[in-house]
Amino acid sequence: MVRIVDNDEEEWLPMSEQEEWSDVVPIPQDDGRNPVCPIAYTDEYREMTDYFRAIMAAGEVSQRAFELSGRVIDANAAHYTAWVYRKKLIIDLGLDIGEELRWVSEISGRHIKNYQLWHHRGALLPLLLDPQDVGRLSQEQRVLIPAIRDELRFVGEVIDNDSKNFHAWSHRQLVVRSYGLWDQEMAYVETQINQDVRNNSAWNQRYFVLTANQSTDDFVLTEDVADREIAYAVEKIKLAPNNESPWSYVIGLLVRHAPAMLYERLLPRINELAADKDYAVAVTSTPFYWSALVDIYEERAKTLDVDERGDVEAFASEACDSLAE
Amino acid sequence: MATQLAVDSHARYFAICLRGLPHQMTSLDAARMTFVQLCLVGLAALGKLDEVCSAEEKKQMIEWIYAQQVLSDGTELSAAYCGFRGGSLFGPHDLCDYVPANSANVAGTYSALCGLLLLGDDLSRVDRPAIVDALRCLQQDSGCFAPHPSTTERDPRFIYCACAISAILDDWSGVDKDAAVKYIVSCCNPDGGMTQAPFQESHGGHLYCCVASLALMGRLDAIPDRQRTLRWALQRQNCGYQGRVNKPADSCYSFWVGAAVELLGGHDLVDAGAVSAFLVQCETRFGGIAKFPDEFPDPLHAALGIVGFTFCNPDGFPRMSPTLLLPESLVERLDIKAARRA
Repeated sequence: MVRIVDNDEEEWLPMSEQEEWSDVVPIPQDDGRNPVCPIAYTDEYREMTDYFRAIMAAGEVSQRAFELSGRVIDANAAHYTAWVYRKKLIIDLGLDIGEELRWVSEISGRHIKNYQLWHHRGALLPLLLDPQDVGRLSQEQRVLIPAIRDELRFVGEVIDNDSKNFHAWSHRQLVVRSYGLWDQEMAYVETQINQDVRNNSAWNQRYFVLTANQSTDDFVLTEDVADREIAYAVEKIKLAPNNESPWSYVIGLLVRHAPAMLYERLLPRINELAADKDYAVAVTSTPFYWSALVDIYEERAKTLDVDERGDVEAFASEACDSLAE
Repeated sequence: MATQLAVDSHARYFAICLRGLPHQMTSLDAARMTFVQLCLVGLAALGKLDEVCSAEEKKQMIEWIYAQQVLSDGTELSAAYCGFRGGSLFGPHDLCDYVPANSANVAGTYSALCGLLLLGDDLSRVDRPAIVDALRCLQQDSGCFAPHPSTTERDPRFIYCACAISAILDDWSGVDKDAAVKYIVSCCNPDGGMTQAPFQESHGGHLYCCVASLALMGRLDAIPDRQRTLRWALQRQNCGYQGRVNKPADSCYSFWVGAAVELLGGHDLVDAGAVSAFLVQCETRFGGIAKFPDEFPDPLHAALGIVGFTFCNPDGFPRMSPTLLLPESLVERLDIKAARRA
């Protein structure tokens, strides 16, 4: 390996002095006579990529190529072909996928928003555990399978550190969808919303869990579920009326799946809230309240004949005036 | 409070970056082409490109860009790897037995073409058929695009790159527009926002890529609820623009969301003063603009912050195209039809 420990100090032994690499002619980077935005590489990075260029150009399949790919990726996680090469090496060498996922977890702290890292995980997971193999199991049994348990734990830790990491939530959708883990995901969403009612990623995930688990293309929002979701959103609005997420969630859900319920089922709950002396001021001073009314009345107006729209349009107009203020 | 950009300071910042980046930016090594483009975009948006870069320097930069072109070797195997690399760290052009070792990337190709145009090149050395063939290889059944072969990455960033490339080359034969539009529509969320794949969180960066792609394809009519999308975008503004609901404002979204607002016809509804003030707060004493106030700058936030600023302050700066990160005057002169504003 690269580092030798001498007198408690780590020293970097150049690859050119390592026996293991003596058969390789490194390929220096050709940046031309006038490079643009050249990066002041460390000597270590420059040398490792000189050797990596040589190895990858030859398509060498070996343990040393695999280890070098790891060092290069950790130094530059956006090296897009290094990941392609590494994936090929894992398959050609028959390496342990679980070990690879553990390595990715280890380096992930330094590259937590790197697209390639997350896609690498997503590509490897089905090789470790074929989604078809879990079909017969209940959801409770599935979350106990080590591959799934470890994956959920990893992405859970990432979210604990950064509750809105876009890649992490996206990866959760992949895992939930691949292995059918809907029940635990709704519970997870509720925990996250309880921890931070303003976490829009968690609210988005709620919509995903509710509507994406369909064998047919169209999700049907029943009155029971609508009432439940409206009640849930209103409860969360009460905690922080000026929080865009629950308003956006419930309006979006109804506009897309059951527009008639905006007026019939959401408006009464919102009116109650606005009339409740504990919440009236906070609720009516947020733009989201007025914006919701505009949405509700606009949708309502569409269902009425032209001559019936007068009152509705008056309400909507008033709401717009308030928003403008 | 100052709402003027420190133009000279930023021009110096980009000039320095073009000459070299510190080792802390090693993670940008595979995307250097995009950072070259962004430095040139920043200078162009400030109206300082000719002042900072001499004719000789421009020629040298053009040579470096062309040196990253991966040309077709005539085989089908190599077709999908053609275009421009993200940097020179990849395999040498003539020595790779393993084909992916020397791979272009649609982002590299897009950035290279923009960079060449900004530097005054006529694209005569660009292998257009190879690039168009590569796009065809990289479009997925879903209509989305991968950036290069053998990756599961695919999202609207690469649809945008493919559309921008096609617009610049005036050749759409590498893009199945209907399929791309269908994919983008599937990324439209109930809140009006747009994202990278169905069911994911609405995101300002992907909003831009989706809306700009539709604009370039002449298909803005495909947005299911355009008013709601414009409203989503406008609601991202409190002082500066945020990229998602309940996230802090970040200077780069003055471009991603700001440009989407322009394309959706919402220019007059923007609080230009507040956006400008926020961007000025993100300026740094080194020159350049940071993501947030009191942080270090980088060429991406600097360039996009400046372009976002010019949308809010059109007098005194060259007008920038919201679809192509090129000056409108250049778009007109080159007659890039897809990028002409409606």
